[in-house]
This record gives sequence, structure tokens and C-alpha cells, in this order.
Amino acid sequence: MAESTGSETTSATGNGNGAPEAKVVEEWLHAAYNCFSSGHKFCREVCPVMQVTRDERHTPTAFHANVVAMEKGLLSIEDVAEDYVHCTMCGACELRCPNTLFTGDFYRFRQRTISVVKAMRALAAEKGIHQKNWQRWAELTNRWGNEPVLGWNTETGASKVRAWAVGLDIPTGGETVLFADCEAAFNRPSVPRAVALLLQAGGIEFGLMSQQWCCGGPMWETGYVDVAHAMAEHNLLDWRKTGTKRIICPDPHDYITIIEHYPELDEGFDEFEIVLALDLIAELIRDGKIELTTPVDRTVTYHDPCRLNKRMGVWQAPREILRAIPGLTFVDVDHVTQWSYCSGAGSNLFVEKPALTAEISRRRLGKVSELEGGVDTLVSACPWSERPLTEEGKAAGIEVFDIFELVAEAAGFEV
Amino acid sequence: MAIATLDVAVVDELVAICGEDHVFTGRSALFNRARVPAPFPAHRWAEHIPQAVVLPTSAEQISEVVKLANRRGIPVVPRAGATGLTDGAVPFRHGILVDVKLMNRILEIDHEDRTVTVQPGINMLKLNEELRRHGYIYPDDPASYPCSLVGGRIGTSGWSLIGGRYGHTRDLVISFEIVLPTGEIIRVGDGGGRKTRKSSSGYQLKHLFMGHQGTLGIVTEATLELVPRPEAEFSAFFAYPSYLDGWKATGDFARSGLATLAGVVLFDEEKVRYLRRDDEAYIPQPDWVRTVVAVAMYGQADEVRAGARQLMRISKANGSHYLGDEISHGDWASRHDRYATPQHGRARSGQVALMSWHCEDAAIAYSKLPEVRERWHRIVDGLCERFDAFDDWGMFAYTNGAYKPWGDYLTEIDVGIWESKWDDEMWAAWVDAKREIARVAIESGGSISACHGSCREGEVDLVPMELGGGFDVMKKIKRALDPGNIMNPGKYLLDQAYELDADTTSREEE
Repeated sequence: MAESTGSETTSATGNGNGAPEAKVVEEWLHAAYNCFSSGHKFCREVCPVMQVTRDERHTPTAFHANVVAMEKGLLSIEDVAEDYVHCTMCGACELRCPNTLFTGDFYRFRQRTISVVKAMRALAAEKGIHQKNWQRWAELTNRWGNEPVLGWNTETGASKVRAWAVGLDIPTGGETVLFADCEAAFNRPSVPRAVALLLQAGGIEFGLMSQQWCCGGPMWETGYVDVAHAMAEHNLLDWRKTGTKRIICPDPHDYITIIEHYPELDEGFDEFEIVLALDLIAELIRDGKIELTTPVDRTVTYHDPCRLNKRMGVWQAPREILRAIPGLTFVDVDHVTQWSYCSGAGSNLFVEKPALTAEISRRRLGKVSELEGGVDTLVSACPWSERPLTEEGKAAGIEVFDIFELVAEAAGFEV
Repeated sequence: MAIATLDVAVVDELVAICGEDHVFTGRSALFNRARVPAPFPAHRWAEHIPQAVVLPTSAEQISEVVKLANRRGIPVVPRAGATGLTDGAVPFRHGILVDVKLMNRILEIDHEDRTVTVQPGINMLKLNEELRRHGYIYPDDPASYPCSLVGGRIGTSGWSLIGGRYGHTRDLVISFEIVLPTGEIIRVGDGGGRKTRKSSSGYQLKHLFMGHQGTLGIVTEATLELVPRPEAEFSAFFAYPSYLDGWKATGDFARSGLATLAGVVLFDEEKVRYLRRDDEAYIPQPDWVRTVVAVAMYGQADEVRAGARQLMRISKANGSHYLGDEISHGDWASRHDRYATPQHGRARSGQVALMSWHCEDAAIAYSKLPEVRERWHRIVDGLCERFDAFDDWGMFAYTNGAYKPWGDYLTEIDVGIWESKWDDEMWAAWVDAKREIARVAIESGGSISACHGSCREGEVDLVPMELGGGFDVMKKIKRALDPGNIMNPGKYLLDQAYELDADTTSREEE
């Protein structure tokens, strides 16, 4: 895997012989040529970044063509590193690719643009080509254990990562733990509080980690692979220390990072069960273990978070939950239409290109405003998306909630 | 590889015109705007890169860029979606590449007179997402529907899969604004009215400024037809034991006179064989199936229902075997996604080889289809025998007439090209084969291209043969409108226009 460059290969860094570059090119050339040679470009108009910048450098096509050009000595990582910032890793391009759609099963092939972008970002970092804010973000994450989601000067250390749980009487460790992501834990504590209250109401016994660090996802995504490894190895150790077997993730970013990356690092990973909170809460509602009796008088539409809908095919559970909330009017937009939607927050785009994230979110809110039926609320299921969506929602007169916040309200809790 | 850089003063002027954020001279900006999907020898990639890229936001900016290029004698190359198959958007002579993708707004939807006015950088699928809310469709439906842009559709005079019902690009574009090679901004249409569909006033310039592959200007705005969104779609796939059986049935369907008939597609035996290479790409069929015909109808529910009944009666009478609802709905719905998959390439040994897709298209009369098919396959077979780097992917024939889907057919042969094996000898053999494919089209009384254009190496050599005296007129027009030969030079043999002028001048001097 390209993602596992990091610490093992750092010996090649800085020796100026181009070895890391050659390694990435060798690994991805075949896949890149699949895109290069078909040249469909069907990915282009579903790409949330391309829809805004309209710049061919930012297309999945370019992300693959660059690999071919590097192999031919026409481009170098120095030429293209900044281009690869322009991706939220939403996965729309992979879904829309005819190579994926029509050759996947038979040839065991799919176009993996996200992995190519990760590999190129890791290569850039390894070669000392840094994006200033990503580098700083990685340094502070490494220092504090959690991402600097409250700004460069407000520490988000491990000692504060449980602050959101005050008064909820949640033990440490245990067979099941609730893994609250950096963004929600520090920036939107109502989300983990809502999830915790709902789990307690549903009769689920769970604790919190003795010392939770960032899942490492944004570090893998922005190319700081050794920091990602440090985060993941710490969390795995912490789970084992407290005898934890089951990890509940309310944040899709945490969930996908753990299931995609942690097994690469740990041969014994199968001992853990990683649970998406959305699935579990939907099940508890379905089984009558959580009762939703308080009407929520809102007309809502749902934003399919990219990592749920496009990356993991999770789009039914949130709709099932929303339809179970009394008093709620739900104006749905189907999940395939939403392949081309995004908040712009993914893979820390907002750290390097805040204006681009804001514009992607503004356009997402524009889609809400176009809906008939007087939609007043946009519901998401991803705390990272909720930051820019909430900001842009203010201008559009649309409130933005996390799905768990609404479910908690319907279950009679105040979060 | 060093890139010949533009004079810094020129770049400064471009920045002054388009703004700092919309002018690029970095290597990745240039290399990623050199290609189109049609394979060109990747080892010659560096020969076709621009020296600067601009992403303008208005016709006035484009006009100023073109005037600057004229003053400085620098080539200008327009680029919209860059999904064309005849190198229109490839900067053969470097220069300034004008990428219109940022100009992608819908400017007006006119419900009364049923038009939509757009900028050239908008894609049809995105346009239709917007129009759907109002109950309309813009029915320009090429294979590249999800990615090609309106500006490029005009530049190539595109063809639509459902043109038999709704017309092709030239029929769906009512008028447009274009920056001429000398920088003037004019509007062309039928007569002068922006929304006039039919006029007898003056020369009919709309057709002149369509399909010129960017050699006569850059489109900056277009007024398009708004069509009521069809209530019903009927698609049906039929099977035949031989090509000739399928060909006869195709003729029956196309000549039926059913007004809702949008298109008929004939898959030849090699195409069906190619699609059978993996069971995912095509719903498996019994062995006896050698040829497939697809039919599609669109319109109001009542008329489509009646038309479909009539069409099924025709199919029974001519021995067509209906392939069932699954393939009929599913394959038609995924028609844009299936036109090429590199993985389907096969080396002579049968081994999977990643191949680039190349499609040679022509307009061929119905009566000539069987003969052209045989001759084209023979040409490609010759290539395959000489080099283990080509692969015959079969042929399609699509109804080509607008509104009346009989007569001639967009006929294409798809060839897999193992590009990574290529050398100059294979490229030369390929160019020769393309020329021969074009020659067959002309000899059969057809045209070198129904939809892509014919300015790639190989077939372009025969454009004068196809157009005869018309090609001389083309050169005179080019020379008159683009005296400095700055607008997309190197395409369509139009450099000859300037040689002609030099010859004339020297004779006069003598």
C-alpha cells in the first residue's frame, strides 16, 4: 500500500536520488494508465472541487495523468504537489468512473483516486514539499494528541478530550468504548453527548478510552503518515490496555480510517469490532430500545456525508432514523444525486483552502434552498461537514444539525 | 524537458486582461491541457503543450486575448471539455490556450419562447439537472454526455444519440456569440434574432461557425432549444443470427416513420464478440446471437405507447428476437458508460492488455453499410497482423439524420491500441490505416466523419478529396477571417490557405 510509506522508508528521504518518487510511480502507474488511456472524464462534473475551480489540474484525470507524466520524466512531484491539495477524498470520482462501474468484478480492478491522492501527498511530505497549514496541523496533532480544531493556540490535549462527557457518568475502558472524534469532542460536544445519552437509553454499556488520541485519518489523508501511525498505535495500545473489544464511532471519518488503515498496522486487528454509531442507533430505534416520542417540528433534508454514502454505501440507516422522528417533515434527495454534493470539509481541505471549502458548502446550501416544501433544516451525520455547513447555513437561513442531536431531542434529551 | 516560454511581457498582458488568478504558466497547468481522450503517441506528449493557459470569465476578456495574440503573432487554442476525438483542443503549435470552463453559467431560461441561454463551459448533464426542475430537457446526448461542454459541442458540430427525434447540436443551438480570430465579437444564428429558429436573411453563418474545431473563433455564449421533458422512454434490444439480418431490421425500424423514434443502433458481430469478453460488460446472450440492434423512443406517454406497439409489430414481422426488459432498460440507461474500457483490450495471445480506445467515425449511407464494414475490418485486421498492439473492438452504426432517422448512419469502428507498446513505426502504420478508413468512407459516397471531425493526422489528408472545391472555399474563408493564422493553427491543412496566398502574391510580383 502506498499509505504505508511513512517511517520505514524515511531513510530514502532527502537523499535526492528520486527513489521515493520512483516507488510511488511504479506502484500506481498501472492504475493511472487505466484512467489515462480511457480518458472518459466522467468524474469531472461530480467532483465538488472541480465544480468550483473548473481547473483541469484539479481533476481525477489529472491526478492519474500526472503519474504517467512523472514516469516519462515530464512532470515531477514538485510540479504537482499543490494540485493534489484540491481533493476532499469524497469518492465521487471513483463511483462515477466507467472503469470501476464496468470492470470491477471481472478484472478485480477499480479506479482508486483517493489512494493515488494519498500516495502523492505522502510523497510530497516525504520529499519535504509541505503545505504550510497542513504541516502545522500535523505538528500540533503530534504534540497534543488531538487535532488543533479550536485554532492554532488552543490546546486540544488528551486531558481535555473527555470534557464533553462531564456529568454523564461514563466509566473508563470496558469491552465497548465510544470513540468521539477530535472535531466533535472539542467543537461540537453536543454530538458525542447525544450519542452517549442515546446509547445509555438503549441499554448499551460503554466507556471512554483512558486516553484517546486522534484516529490519525487526516494525517494519512494529508501525507503525514508517521504521525498517523503514532496516533493509531497509541489507540490500539489503549484499547488493549482496557480490554476493549468493540469501538463505537459516531464520526464517519474515524470509522473509515480505523477500518481501512488500522488493519495494515496490526496483525491482530480482527479482535476488534468497529461499529458505526448510525447503524447501532438505527437498530436500537428499530428494536424499540430507544423511543422517540418528543415531536421535532422541523422540515428537514438530509446531507449524505461523503464517507458514508460514497465511500461506504451507508445511506439507508440515516433515512430510516429521520423517518422515525415524530413531527419531522423529511424532504429527501436521493443518495445518487448526492454523489456530486459535498461540504468541502473532507481531508482537511478547509485547513489549506478555507475559501474553497466555504464555496462548496455554500453551493450545498444552495441545493437545500432550491427544494420545495419549505425546508428549514439541513441534517448531516458528520461533524466535520457541520462546521462549514453551519457557517454557510447562517447566510442561507437554514439551520444545520447533526442527526444525533435531533434524535436525542426526539428521545427527550437536552444536549 | 524545457518549455519554450512566452515573453514575460505577454504573460503580464494576459494577467492584465484575465486577472492573476486566471493565468497559468506552471508545468502541470500546461501538461494537463495538452491531451484529449483520443490516443496520441504518449511519447510525444511534450510536443503538444501550450505556453500559457488562461481561464477567462467573459467574451470581452477572450476578445482582448485574441487581439493580443494577433499583435504578437502567437497561436490561440480554444479548449472546452477537451473530450473530442480529433485533436481540436490539442495545441499543435503551443501558444495561448483559452480554457472556457469557468464560463459555465446559465444566463436565462425563457419559458415563453422556450430557450435557454448559457455560457460555453457548461456541461449538458449539469444543465439538465437545472432544467429538470422546470420540466425541460436539452436533448444533446453524445457518448460524452456526462463530461463534454456546450462550447465544444459547437466547435465540433456534435452528434446526439437521440438526434433522430430531437436533432443534433446544430439543430439544438439556435444562435451563439463568437469571438472571431481577429477579436471582434459577433452573434450568428439563423438571421440576426437571438431566438429565431428559421430565417432567410443573409448568409447562413451558423453552420459556418460550427464544427470548425476552433479554427474560426471561440464561442462565448449560446442560446439553445428548450424541449419539454419526455414523459416516456421506450428502449428495446433485439438479437439476430447474422449481421445482415440485423442490418435489414435496422433499416425497417429507421424507415418506419414513427415520430417518437430517437435512434437505432446496430452492433456488428465483432462488437458483440468484444462485449462478450467479460460477462459484466454485457448481459450474456445465447451463442446464436451475433448481432444486436437497439431502438429508443421518446415523447409523451400516449404517443410512445402507440409507437412502441407499432415498433414491436415491425420487429415480429422481420424476425427480430426481443432480448427482454433487463438488457433493454439497463443497457440503454448505461449507454454513456460503456463506450470504452481499457481492460477489455487483448493481446494476440488472448492476454488482457490495457488498451486505449480509438474510434474512427464516418457518415455512411444505409445501403453501403455491409460493404464498408467488410473493408474497414480488413484494414484493422491488417494492422493486427503486423503488430501485436492493435485490437479490433467491432463496429456500431447509429441513425444519423436529424428528425428523420433514415438514410445515412454514423458508422464507427473501435480499435484498441496498446499505447505503451507504441513506437514511431506503429504510429505511422496507424496513421496510414486511418487514412484508408477515411478513403473507404469517401469512395462509398459518404463523409469522413459524422461527429468527431476529420482533422487528425491520417484522415485529414483526404479532406480536400472529400470536399473538392469546397476545400478551396474553406481556405479562402480561413484566410479572410484569420489573416494571421493565429486561431488554432495546424488543423485541417489550413496552413495551405496561407501558402496559397504567398503563391498568388509571388506570381503577382513577377
